[in-house]
Amino acid sequence: MNDHLILKKDHTLSLLRRLMREHRLVAPLRNRHGDTLFAEVDDLAGVELDLEHQPQASLKPFLFPQQETMFRYRLDGEGGGYRFEPPEAGRPLLFFGVRACDLSAVLYLDVIFSRRGRDPYYFARRHDSLLISLACNQPFANCFCNSTKTGPFLEYGFDLQLTDLGDRYLVEVGRARGAELVGRWRHFFTPAEEGDRKAQYQALLESRSHFQRQVHLEQAIRRLQADEPLPEELWAGLARRCQDCGGCAYVCPTCTCFTITDQQLTATEGIRQRSWDACTFGGFTRLAGGHNPVDASRDQLRQRFLHKLLYDVREHGRPSCVGCGRCLGICFGGVDIVRFIDLVCEVRQ
Amino acid sequence: MTDNGNPYLPYPARILRVTEENSQIKSFELAFTDPERHRAFTYRPGQFVMVSVPHGGEAPISISSSPTRPGGLTLSVRKAGRLTAALHRMTAGELVGLRGPYGRPFPVDELKGRDLIFVAGGIGLAPLASVVNLCLDRRGEYGQLTLLYGSRSPADIAFGAELEGWRRAGVKCLLTVDQGGEGWTGQVGLVTTLFAQISPDPGRSSALICGPPVMFRFVAAELTRLGLSDQDIITTLERHMKCGLGVCRHCHLGPKLVCAHGPVFTLAELRGLREAELS
Repeated sequence: MNDHLILKKDHTLSLLRRLMREHRLVAPLRNRHGDTLFAEVDDLAGVELDLEHQPQASLKPFLFPQQETMFRYRLDGEGGGYRFEPPEAGRPLLFFGVRACDLSAVLYLDVIFSRRGRDPYYFARRHDSLLISLACNQPFANCFCNSTKTGPFLEYGFDLQLTDLGDRYLVEVGRARGAELVGRWRHFFTPAEEGDRKAQYQALLESRSHFQRQVHLEQAIRRLQADEPLPEELWAGLARRCQDCGGCAYVCPTCTCFTITDQQLTATEGIRQRSWDACTFGGFTRLAGGHNPVDASRDQLRQRFLHKLLYDVREHGRPSCVGCGRCLGICFGGVDIVRFIDLVCEVRQ
Repeated sequence: MTDNGNPYLPYPARILRVTEENSQIKSFELAFTDPERHRAFTYRPGQFVMVSVPHGGEAPISISSSPTRPGGLTLSVRKAGRLTAALHRMTAGELVGLRGPYGRPFPVDELKGRDLIFVAGGIGLAPLASVVNLCLDRRGEYGQLTLLYGSRSPADIAFGAELEGWRRAGVKCLLTVDQGGEGWTGQVGLVTTLFAQISPDPGRSSALICGPPVMFRFVAAELTRLGLSDQDIITTLERHMKCGLGVCRHCHLGPKLVCAHGPVFTLAELRGLREAELS
């Protein structure tokens, strides 16, 4: 099969409706406050699909929710039982309108949640999910996926990648699941012409020239890999400006630190919950009894930045920042990852 | 061991016996309620389990019993926070949840033929006790065994029954307390003061250390002075942990995770890691 197809924009909703029979659709919606957020869609008629703006949050909450029940536990009286009952999995997810950065982040999450066997909660949602991405013809103000090499167009990882060509999408078929989808709903697609592919290439070139930020990520990574410690004042200066809000970790599509807590419901029942956490929180590493092996006043942001830009480069061969730029928008202390990259580049070797 | 496919689900285990080691430390002997699971459960000295206490959450606790001995799994626990306080209120017959074992164990096979110096502070003796008992059960495979054990006061000396047994079995046990008291005729001072009483052969000695960071720093310096290499100075670290599986990252030492890369580390592996608190 030709892996370049055309899907008319007029047919898109109709295709999505078909797919919604078997999938829970997650797509960027514009809400009544004017915010664009990924949300689960029950009925396409009542919502405003927004493929113009960058969704303010990534797909992370749908695969790794901010808070989720890991299991219910029950105590069955005197010398009885202590039982643990995990939840059932729901219908498979279909993600539509996913930007290259966010999709790249999902590929990273796949790796992280495969440590020591597959994470049952993450893969219950990820397994059987479909990823339909939308290439970025126009990067947003804080984007720097050109530096992180996770966009603006993808070469792999998607089931289908759409490129907006005006009244139609050029459709590239990626993974097997995407081929299956196209095969099953063949009548929605027509083969792409040579001109369509040229138009896509043109869109990619234009997109690359529209980035507003110059982020010298590779230079910063080389400096970090030099194994020469950064000036203490650089770390302390970042720590002073961090307000410990955790916003950067929450909007970050690749931050996966979590905590686990029990919530008692009755005398004999409760739930164990997993919730997002952040290594920037002062108490993240604090032990029972109060000792903390990490001095937050000095090193509050050290783990965040080195994990993404040094430790993951060593472990996975690439940084785990995908250049979505969301932390630039959310950090009111001005200590987002681009600030860090800039500071590292300024340090004299 | 067969698994239920969800590494986060604990298995119920019954408290068989509680031993009060001192006012702060209790030892809990546990057995999985499923006898088959209990038989199949294997572990190595230095590993830990995640312990669930009803309504109290979960915490990592190192195993203090030795796999060479029959019976239950023993966890020695110092009352340090909410979960451990709740565990201290529990009695024989009650249930906890267990999952694991996790973590890299002490390299007991590589240590064969060597003289072993155990250095512990307070509850730090718990993970080392597992190794001492394993060595005693395979006595011919190890050289001299020496224990340096520091406690705050004579009343804080824990694991009395174990110490007595080890002495009888030929382990050189040297004790010290930070503050002496009436009736105490032994050594007073930090655990490092005991080094004056030993003269190990650095070529055939390895040290296994567990205690607070400041103790480890001074002990490691003493051992280095005695000629032990960074490879032969081995410790086990305590950290806040939530998953035990290398995912939640609470136990990070910068690039390393205590749950997955440790908790047992050589001094050589810890050098240069800021979060290892070597300075």
